[in-house]
Formats: sequence, structure tokens, C-alpha cells
Amino acid sequence: MLPRWITIAYLAFLAAPIVLLVVGSFGGLWLNTLLPTGVTGRWYAEVAADPSFRRAFGSSLIVAATTCLICLLIGLPLAYAIFRARSPRIRAFARVLYQLPVALPALVLAFGFILVFSSDALPWLGSIWLLIAGHVVLCMPYFLHAVVADMHRLNLHTLEEAAESLGSSGTQQFFHVVVPSLRHSMLSGLIVVAALSIGEFQFSNLVAGFLNRTYPIVLLQAFYGATGFACAATVILLLLALTASVAGALAAGGRPGFVVPAR
Amino acid sequence: MTAAVRLQNIDYHYPDSGGGVADIDLTIAAGEMLVCIGPSGCGKSTLLKLLAGFLRPDQGRIYLGGDDVTARTTRERGCGVVFQSYALFPTMSARDNVAYPLRVRNIALSARRKRAEAMLDLVGLADFADRLPAQLSGGQQQRVALARALVFEPKALLLDEPLSALDAATRLSMREEIRRIQQLRNIATLLITHDQDEALSLGDRVAVMKDGRLQQVATPEQLYDAPVDGFVASFVGRANLLAAVVVEPNAVDTPIGRLIVPAHGRPPGTRLELLIRPERIVIEMAHPSGSPNVFDVQVVRDAFYGATRQVEVAVGAGSLHLETTKRSAIERVRIPPEAVQFLSSPDSRSP
Repeated sequence: MLPRWITIAYLAFLAAPIVLLVVGSFGGLWLNTLLPTGVTGRWYAEVAADPSFRRAFGSSLIVAATTCLICLLIGLPLAYAIFRARSPRIRAFARVLYQLPVALPALVLAFGFILVFSSDALPWLGSIWLLIAGHVVLCMPYFLHAVVADMHRLNLHTLEEAAESLGSSGTQQFFHVVVPSLRHSMLSGLIVVAALSIGEFQFSNLVAGFLNRTYPIVLLQAFYGATGFACAATVILLLLALTASVAGALAAGGRPGFVVPAR
Repeated sequence: MTAAVRLQNIDYHYPDSGGGVADIDLTIAAGEMLVCIGPSGCGKSTLLKLLAGFLRPDQGRIYLGGDDVTARTTRERGCGVVFQSYALFPTMSARDNVAYPLRVRNIALSARRKRAEAMLDLVGLADFADRLPAQLSGGQQQRVALARALVFEPKALLLDEPLSALDAATRLSMREEIRRIQQLRNIATLLITHDQDEALSLGDRVAVMKDGRLQQVATPEQLYDAPVDGFVASFVGRANLLAAVVVEPNAVDTPIGRLIVPAHGRPPGTRLELLIRPERIVIEMAHPSGSPNVFDVQVVRDAFYGATRQVEVAVGAGSLHLETTKRSAIERVRIPPEAVQFLSSPDSRSP
């Protein structure tokens, strides 16, 4: 009985802010009362019409999509190198990569970027590419972890040897065996990357230029205005992140290799 | 007898560890099943990897069907390999797995499906063609792997511990299945195992390996009846191995007592190792008058296996393993001189 009540209490604690946000986003007036009065859709209409939110929404999508693409293009060869590495040095390097986001807060990375890229030699601070580069660094470990774990689970090396003995060339092995076998973990890894990138605040807040601020940064400013407007803007972010994680869970299909991000 | 497979004077050492194989000379005739057996780490899987082309020998030549393939890649060699883990492609159906070698050989879709289905039929899985590997049992996956390794008519079939991941009952039926299909396709086959029953019952010849070297290559009968040393004797079948010293032209001293056996001209003082197979020891009811080599024994362990009993008895300062079909109590045994084989003693052999 007790575990059940603890679970229920925890879920209520978890859901309460979300429920309040949703209620607030549809509420008319919310001043010094427990619940807002009246029902309205005007906050969503206002968010949708707000040029800085529209721009931020677009920026977030571009940054997340590009981060995913780069993680895939760099991450797959990198995961492969880590998986095939026999040298303990490369394996140690891989461990560092995995733990990077835990050991290194995004704030530290942002300060580093500001120091390096505000110089006259590399004056790139504020460009969207720099923002994307930071997101890649922050998200890559999650992608690598998902894919490398799946490579081990599948015994990918033996699958490749089998394919080779059956007459398959290196390219054929890659497209016939490696990519299809890893499709679940690659997809789930990418969706984790997308969800992280969409929600990323610490780093983006410091490094993003004014014209390519991402959604969470603009969202913070909304809290200085009307409560309903802030709630609606937050619910939109929530839906965006939720879509990514549900899609991720479905793609992973309960397989190992899907890792829930640690933050 | 033409050699379909020939390993000539092969040496290989793993770069990062001490392991490897040395001085390997081995041939497999067309249609022959050669079983390679040895304890883990003896290099038997290395042998398979060298033949398949996953590893390149440091020294020596490898021939397949008369061609020197030493410099060829795995892909060019075209050996059919069955892996211990089966290594079926998880996203392909059984049919697509079996058809894969034909797909990379650019055989038309309809033709390769037909051949794949014929192969699946041969291994008894015609009804499972559309299943994914994860939807098949271990034995069925093994059959698919076998079909896939044979469908492109390879020059040799290589099986790496194919039965070790199966449960005991499936293992027996798969053993017969592998033999049946191998004989049907008449293909030169190398099977790696650590299971002596598998080796003796499957192999046309058996190669026993130890520490990267071939100890003995012979038919199962020769291997059992005339092992070259104690290692082979104990690895193939059960064996009583006794350290012995020649004391007279026709007597040796052993931990179980003095045995009357012809020493075949070995001078007194010669140390050697005796092999006595458990089923050759005779259980005596009465005291046979005048017979040599009769010993009083005490039963230490007695295990009943249905048709036979495996009994361990204490004799003098040593012990013996017996195998018998008799159900009676055991008090006395006789060791017929013809049951005693002389092996050279490990410590008397020159290094």
C-alpha cells in the first residue's frame, strides 16, 4: 500500500506545475487567487502573433534540426571508432566524452566560448553556427552512448564479419547491415538530442545572438509580463519537448540502448 | 584424396597478447568433416579465423580448392561461416538472411528468393521464411545460419562452436542435422568445439589442439584407441592416467600397485604414463585364481546413468574410474594387460 501512495504523491507533485501551467494558459484573469477566472484562448493567439516568439520558435527548430544532423554525421563514425577501438587510450577518451555533460556544466562551456569567440581573431560570438556547435558538444554524448551501447548489444563486429564472409563489401556492409541494425538506437539517440537542444537554456542564454535567441531564452522574458501569456508560451515548449520524448520512446520500443538524459 | 582445404606451416600470434597458433599443418578433403577440439584458449577458433580470412597468418600458406588464398580477403575467399552467436542480421527475415549472399552477388530477386527458400526447405524451416531472427528459437536460428552459409556454394564450411549456445536436447538433434546436411552437400567442413562427444560422433577426423599446436589429428577411433599422450587421452573420452616406473621386463609400479604388463623392452627405471580406459577394467565377483592384476577396491563414488554406471574406486595409494553395465556391488577388479597402454611420460619427453 505504502509504495503505491508514494508513487501517487510523487506523480501529483510532478504533474501539479504542469497542470497549473495548462490551466493558467487558458485562464482569463489570475491575480492572488488559487485558480484563474474565465476561459480564453487569447494567450496562445498572442504568443503566436508575437514576432520575437515566432522568430525564437524558428531558431529553436533550426538549431535542433542542425544539431541532430551534425550529431548523426559526426556521431556515427565517432561511435564506430569508439566501438572498434582496441587501444585503452581511445576508450578512456570515450568515457570522458560520455561524462562531459555531467562533469562540465553548460555554463562553463559557454564562458569558454565567450572567451574564445569574442576575440578579434575569432569574432563569431552571436552567430547561429556557434550556437549549434555548442549544442552539438552538449548533446553528442547522449547520441554516442545510445549508439555505442547498441553496437555492443548487437555484437556488430560479428555481424560485419558474417556479412563479409558472405561476400559483402565494406560499403554494402555499412548500408545493408550496420545502418539498418542501428536504426532504432540512432533514431532514439537523435530524439534525445532534439529534446535536449530544444530545452537548452544555460548555454544558449549566454552565447546566442539577439537575432537567433532560442525559444527558452525568449520564454524567460515572458515571465515579466502577463501570467497567462507566460503559461501559454511554456506549454508550447512543453509540447515540443514532449513530442520529441514520446517519439523517442516509441522509436526505441523499450529497447536497451535508449538512455533517458540525465538532466 | 584431394585436399579441399590446406593449411601449410601456419604461424600466427596475436599482436597484443601471447596467444596464437604455431606449426599448423592440416588438410581437409572434399566432403570431409574435420572437428577441431581443445580447451578454451588453445587456438582452435584462431584456426577458423585464419581460414576464413579474418586473420592473416604471420607465416605459412592457405589453400582452398587448390588455389593459394593466403593473400585474399575474407570476401574473396568465400568460405561459409557459421558463428557461435549465429550472427543473423536482425532486421532481415530468415529468407532475406539466407538470400543475402546471393544479393551481394547480384543474383536477380526472384532467383535468389527461390534458392533461399530451397535452402530453408533443406534445413526444415520452409514455414518460417518470413520470421525475423528474434522470432526464432536458438535451434531455428542455427538452421538459418547454416542455410545462409551454404546457399552460395562455398568452397568450405566453417562452424565455430555451433552447438554451444543450444540446450542439451536441441544440441543432439542439431548435431545430426549438421552432419546430414554436410554430407548431403558433400562439402569440406571445419567444426570447432570443446565438446568431446560432438568431436567423436561428428568428425571424419578429429584434430586435438593444445597451446596453439596440433597434438594429434586422427580418426575418432584412432584417437580413442591410440592417443599420443595423456592430454589427448583425457580430452577424448574418459581416461585413467597412471604415473608408472618400469621395475622388471614385464612389470611396472603404479600408485595402485604393481601391474604385470609387458614393458616392451623398456629398461627398468623408465618413467612413463599408463592409460587405462574405464570400460576396459573388469569387475570380478569371485577371486580368480592365478590371474594377475587383480585388486581389492573400495567404492568412493557411484553414479548411475541408466545404461551404465560410472564408479570411482580407491585402489592402494591411487584411484581408478570404472564404467560398467553391472549393477552388483564392486569389491574387486582386474586389469587385463591388453587394456593397458603406454604413453610417454610428460617429464621424460624432451622439450
